[in-house]
Formats: sequence, structure tokens, C-alpha cells
Amino acid sequence: MKSAWLFPGQGSQYPNFLNELPQHSIISDTLETASEIIKEPIEMLQTEEALISTRNVQLTMLTASVATARYFLSLGVSPQFIAGHSVGAFAAAVIANVLSFEEALLLVKKRGELMEELQDENYGMAVIVGLSENRLEEIVSGLYTDEYPVYVSNRNSPTQLTLSGHKRAMQKVIDEVDGKGASSAKMLKVTTPSHSPLFLPVQTVLKEELDSLELGRPSIPFIANRNARVLRRSKDIAQDLAESIALPVRWHDATTVLYEYGVRQFIEMPPGDVLKRLASSAFPEIHSYSVSKNGIDDCLYVEKNKGV
Amino acid sequence: MVIIQQRSWKQKLEQKQRRVESVSHLVNGSIIPTEKIVDALELLIKPGDRVVLEGNNQKQASFLSQSLVLVDPEKVHDLHMIMSSVSRPEHLDLFDEGIAKRIDLSYAGPQSMRIAQMIEDGRLVLGDLHTYIELYGRLFVDLTPNVVLVAADKADRHGNLYTGPNTEETPTIVEAAAFSDGIVIAQVNEIVDELPRVDIPNSWVDFIVEADHPYELEPLFTRDPRHITDIQILQAMMCIRGIYEKHSVQSLNHGIGFNTAAIELLLPSYGEKLGLKGKICKNWVLNPHPTLIPAIESGWAESIYCFGGELGMEKYVEARRDVFFTGKDGSMRSNRTLAQLAGQYAADLFIGSTLQMDAYGNSSTVTKGRVAGYGGAPNMGHNPGGRRHSTEAWYNMMTSTDELARGKKLVVQVAETYQDANTPVFVERLDAVDVKKQANLAVAPVMIYAEDITHVVTEEGIAYLYKTDSPTERREMIASIAGVTPLGMEHDVKQTQQLRDRGLVALPEDLNIQRGEANRSLLAAKNIDELVQWSGGLYEPPAKFKSW
Repeated sequence: MKSAWLFPGQGSQYPNFLNELPQHSIISDTLETASEIIKEPIEMLQTEEALISTRNVQLTMLTASVATARYFLSLGVSPQFIAGHSVGAFAAAVIANVLSFEEALLLVKKRGELMEELQDENYGMAVIVGLSENRLEEIVSGLYTDEYPVYVSNRNSPTQLTLSGHKRAMQKVIDEVDGKGASSAKMLKVTTPSHSPLFLPVQTVLKEELDSLELGRPSIPFIANRNARVLRRSKDIAQDLAESIALPVRWHDATTVLYEYGVRQFIEMPPGDVLKRLASSAFPEIHSYSVSKNGIDDCLYVEKNKGV
Repeated sequence: MVIIQQRSWKQKLEQKQRRVESVSHLVNGSIIPTEKIVDALELLIKPGDRVVLEGNNQKQASFLSQSLVLVDPEKVHDLHMIMSSVSRPEHLDLFDEGIAKRIDLSYAGPQSMRIAQMIEDGRLVLGDLHTYIELYGRLFVDLTPNVVLVAADKADRHGNLYTGPNTEETPTIVEAAAFSDGIVIAQVNEIVDELPRVDIPNSWVDFIVEADHPYELEPLFTRDPRHITDIQILQAMMCIRGIYEKHSVQSLNHGIGFNTAAIELLLPSYGEKLGLKGKICKNWVLNPHPTLIPAIESGWAESIYCFGGELGMEKYVEARRDVFFTGKDGSMRSNRTLAQLAGQYAADLFIGSTLQMDAYGNSSTVTKGRVAGYGGAPNMGHNPGGRRHSTEAWYNMMTSTDELARGKKLVVQVAETYQDANTPVFVERLDAVDVKKQANLAVAPVMIYAEDITHVVTEEGIAYLYKTDSPTERREMIASIAGVTPLGMEHDVKQTQQLRDRGLVALPEDLNIQRGEANRSLLAAKNIDELVQWSGGLYEPPAKFKSW
């Protein structure tokens, strides 16, 4: 049976989640390395207060995912495909040998800091559940103005979509759809309108940074965020890592493509189980696990005995 | 004086002989050793060849597809694949690897997103999307194959093939190559001394190869009765009373939906109570659906002709040879080509479910960003203009007194008004129109056209669309059974009453059906276990359907 490892994006973090990682020297070594590279203790970035900063969220998530996946690799277990949601794609790129852990940490630090520089109390994201992409696009294009922009951003499932943009415009969309088609429509507590053209400046800097790196040949095929293509060349992966911050993440398409490639087992790296649940609801017959929810031992067991 | 130029009129044969000669060092007579298959394919297939790779609805030539993807793209490339069903990952890996370039197909549901991506990226050139019969037809007209790769259960040492219950389209594909000097390669699960019977004679076959694993077979037509809902039961009751009984439907095809599984399971209970046995549903064109077992056991089915087999049904079918088409050896024989023709020309009724329907009755199952193709539904889900024989149901569709008036095939679409909480089935414009643009298709991929559909059934009622040609009236009729969808909100009670009075629409009460009676207690079998019991233990459900 083919398996894929999934790396979560922002939103799956919770206070002190690094403390819940499996106890193993590979994992603690990775945390230590992270602290050395960013020149501050990584554990300090996971407190409730520290996690208000998107930079800290991204750095701690990258570290947690990479550390755990490295533990799997050290036991000779590896997947047929790899995919990460938003910042999770950087962890996937490390595990596929495209980026070194150090390169990824510095890129993600830069990414987070640039996003924070651009953040503005009036902007953010919202999540709309229950409407189709077509229908939401129609409504959003009707309410968009240059002064108060709003975009449909991430496609997490056919009916779980996010908005990114000005809060005033997003509120208008929420008022329009709440109770009229949407089963849930609410603002997220973030001030970063990710995966929309508002973050084109971040894209530009990331591109320059990635261009200056000597990338490794991917050891595992990688699924793109922006168009759900299977990428097998490092330059294509670099392009996706840079561009995705200003483009929607087509996560449902990515899951579907993995399924069509024959993947029937999904393992989500910490923290959380958002991607595990999205995979199970898209394809009820697959086997889907998360290290945070199912525990490292069960996940290792099913990965070692694919098909059992 | 006519000058006759000298040319060889057997160039195809000569080319075939050269190719066959080129593998003489690898093969043992007509047997390709399992481990030599990739080498043999590299010699037998030439760049640009038209290759049929057998991927059916159910049976997959999985050993040959896995082997073909391993050939050296330097030696074998730019193939033009012809496949009735694109369902396995390696079917598209052939294009990623540069082995194949172009494809003509019928159905690509299980790979519909990847194929859409590959068309967009220019990695694959889509010839066209077909129904099954159309694609088989083209094998004998403008898509004659150079090489065909098929799957059989067993071969004998002379190369005769046994395909048994899962014969499906193998004979059709083989015929297209065998009689146009193409090369026929069959993978078999085993080579035996004596076959139960010969389904394909060895003079049609060039090479056989024993597969490392038996071919893949999907139990596509098994529906667990546990998942049948009360709404589906209500719809099934309406179909039985308001369509099958009303028009005296004797011969029919059922699809794989839970809606039709519910009808099958209501025949021995609800149908029997109405005294309909022997009056409706006697001659079937469909696969051996496990949910049909109670109706067969109760004496409803006189005959059943199958497109393919169904995993686990082999022993049961063998034991019911009065009903199923069975060989001298005792095992069933299916044939997709003939079953499609039978369903198209000789059956009174086709019934299926849809995901989307417009206000006039055009329906489609496509979704944006996917290229899924058609399969067989449009073959059977249309009124064949070439039909000349009359049956009671067909004649019953005649609405004119013109002296040249004729009957019509019954084409029924069943749908719940909402697919899920927020997705109405009835829409102003089909997604198929967007897919046409995205995938650059010549025509929008419509499954059943409004001109062919005779009845629409929702949980609200039945619209007898065959009774009118007026688009306005059709829209009103569909709106009156469209529930609280935007289209449904167009109608008012008074209008609906008028349509009911004129017999254009029927609600459950018009058919003497109490909504409250529509519940699972009516099902002749409520789970897989009960189907096994009905079969006297002969049905052996695949593991994933067993209730532990």
C-alpha cells in the first residue's frame, strides 16, 4: 500500500505542543539544532503568548514536523509521496532533501517576519463552511472593491473554504452567506491575509532567497500547494514554496491527486490532526492517522506494515 | 489500358511477422515467460502504435499495464492508447514517463483529476471521450489497433483463452486486432492443461503470459443494503408504482446506485403485495447484483444478461443457470458489447441517478476540474432511433395520434433534490459547460439529454416529461418536484395541482403511497448477511462487505 506524509500549516498549533512530541534523541536533537540556528530557545516560542506571533508559530511547527518525520526516517520508514499545507510544505521539502533544515528555518523565519511586517489589524482571514467554490467565488467577486479587497483563499475541502482580505469586506461576505447556504461562517483570529495577492511582496523576497540556494534533488515526489501537481524537480518545488503565500492552497485537490496515485494511507506529522480528518472525510475508505492523535507507536507500526 | 502498379497487399501482415520474429529468442511458442514481458513489449510495440490496454469497468489487465510502464521510453514512445476505462495509477504514469502521448477513452472516473491536470499541462493529448459502444465501434473503423493487451482467467498450452464470468470486452478488443494483423497479448492468471471452455480461440491470440498476480477485479456492483435510506425506499416505491406498473415495464437495466438497489429489494416485498410478479421486471440486462438475489429467489427474474461478472457471485450464478447466460462448463459468460447493445435496443427502460440536472432535464455527473468521461450510461440512457420492434412499455410512450407515430425507450433519472445540505441537484446551468471549456472538449459532457429523458423522480414526486414537448411546461413539471431548491421555489401549489390533474406530475399520494410506510422494514434483505442467507450460502461476499 502506498502512503503519504502530510505536514500541517498554521492553525494546528496549540500552547506547549513541542512538549508533547515523542521522547527520542533525534527529536530533542532537532529541537536543539533549531535553537542554535535561530539563536533563541525554540521552547520559548511555543507559549500561548509567543504563539500570537505568526513567525513563532511557523518556526515551531516546522521544527515539530521535521523532528518527528526524521524519527520515522531513522527507523527506515519512508513514504511514497509527501505534501505540506502552506508552511508545512517547507517541512516536506526538508524531508524530501530539497532544503536543509537550516535553510528551511531561515526561510520560514524570513517568511514569518515579512508577514508580520505587512500585517494590519484591518486584515485577516475567515472560514466559510457549506458553500461550493463556485458559489463563494460569485459572492466574493460581487463584494470585492480595491479599497476593501477580499479573496477566496484556501480550498481545504469542497465545502470548507477560507477568505483572505480586509475585515470589512470579509464581514460583508459572512453576512451574505451566514444562514443562507453556509452552515458556518466566521472570522479567524489572525491579522495575516495569507494565500492572497496581498502577500505578493513576501512572494518576491522568498523567490530571491530560494534562487540563491543550492537545492537538493527531491528524494520523494512532492505535491504542490498552488495547483496540486506532483513535483519531482527541485526548481519546481522552490517555485511552489515561494509562490504559494500569494496563491490559494488547493489542499483538497492535493489529497485527491494522492488518492488517484494510489495512496491509501496518510500519516500527519505533529501538531494536530486537521489534515488527517480532511483526508478521511474526502475518502472514507482510506487509512488516515495523525501522530498527535494516534500516537507515534501506532503510526510507526502502520507505516512499517503498510497493508496490514 | 489500365496500368497496375505492383504493391504488397499484406504489408500489415509482413510487419506483424517481423515483430513476432523479433521476439523468437524470448518466447517459448506462444508463451512469453513472465520475467521476459518487458523485453518482449519493447520489441512487439513500436513508437506511435495504437495500443488497446484492457482496463474495464471491473477487470484490469494489471500485470500488462504495470509491465508497459516499465518499458524504455527511448524504445517505445508516443503511443496512442485506447482504453475503455482509465482507472489505475500506472495508466496515466505511461504519459508521465513519455511512453504514451495520446488517448481515446470512455471512462476515467478514478483518475479524473490527474487526467484533467495532464490535459491542461499538455502531457497527454485527449482524442475524445466516448460511450463504450462508440469506442468499440471505432476499433473497427478509424482506431484499429496495432497491439492489444488483454486479461483472461486461464489459457491452455495452445493459447486458447477462458475468460468466464468476467469476459466483459475482451473478445471485442481481441477481434479488432486479430483480424487486422495486429498483435494480441493476453495475460492469464494460470496456464492449464484443459480449459473449462474456450471463450477466445487460439487462432485469435499471438502471445500469452502468466501474470505474477491475478488480474485486478473490483466488486463495483455490490451495494450493502444497510446504507439504503428511507428516502431511497420512497423513491423506489414511486418507481415501482408510477413507472414500472403504470407502463408495464418488462425488460430493463439498473445502474449501480442505492436507488435501484432499493427497487430490487422491494420487488419481493412491496411488489409482491401489489400483485406485480410476472407482470413487470422479467428480463434484465445488468451485472449479477447481489441485491437482486431475493427477487431471483422469489421468481421475479426470467433472464439476466450481464456486462461483466461480480466478485463473490460466481457460485450463486452457476447454480441459477435458468436465469443467467451460462456455458456448457457451468460458468457464466458476460459480454459488455452485446449487453450494451441489448440494453440500448432491446430493453424497455433505463434508470440511473444523477448529480446535476438543469431545468429542462439535461443531466450530468461531471464536476469542475475533472474529466471523467461517460462509460455506458448514455448508450442505454437514450432513445435509439433505430428501434423498430414494439413492446407494451415502449408503445405506451407514444403521445401523438399521427399515423407515423412511434413509441419511445423509457429513460428515468432518479435524484434527491439536494446532494447534500447545500448542493441542489437542480441548477440553471450544468457544470459540464465549464468542463467543456476547461478541458477544451468539442461538446459539453452531458450524460443524458433532455430530449431522451422520459421521467424524473425525486423524493417529492414523478415528472412525466415524455408527455410534453414544451420547454416551459417541462420546466414547470421539474420545478414542481424540485423541493426547496431555487428551481423548486418557482412553482406554487396551485400550479402543481393543475399539473397533477393533467397527469403530468404525480406525488406519492397520487400513487397511493403513504410516505410513512416508506422505511427499511420493507427491504427483502437489510444487510449483506441476509443476502447470503437468501442465496442459501452460495453468495460469497468479498471481505470488505462482510459483517463481522
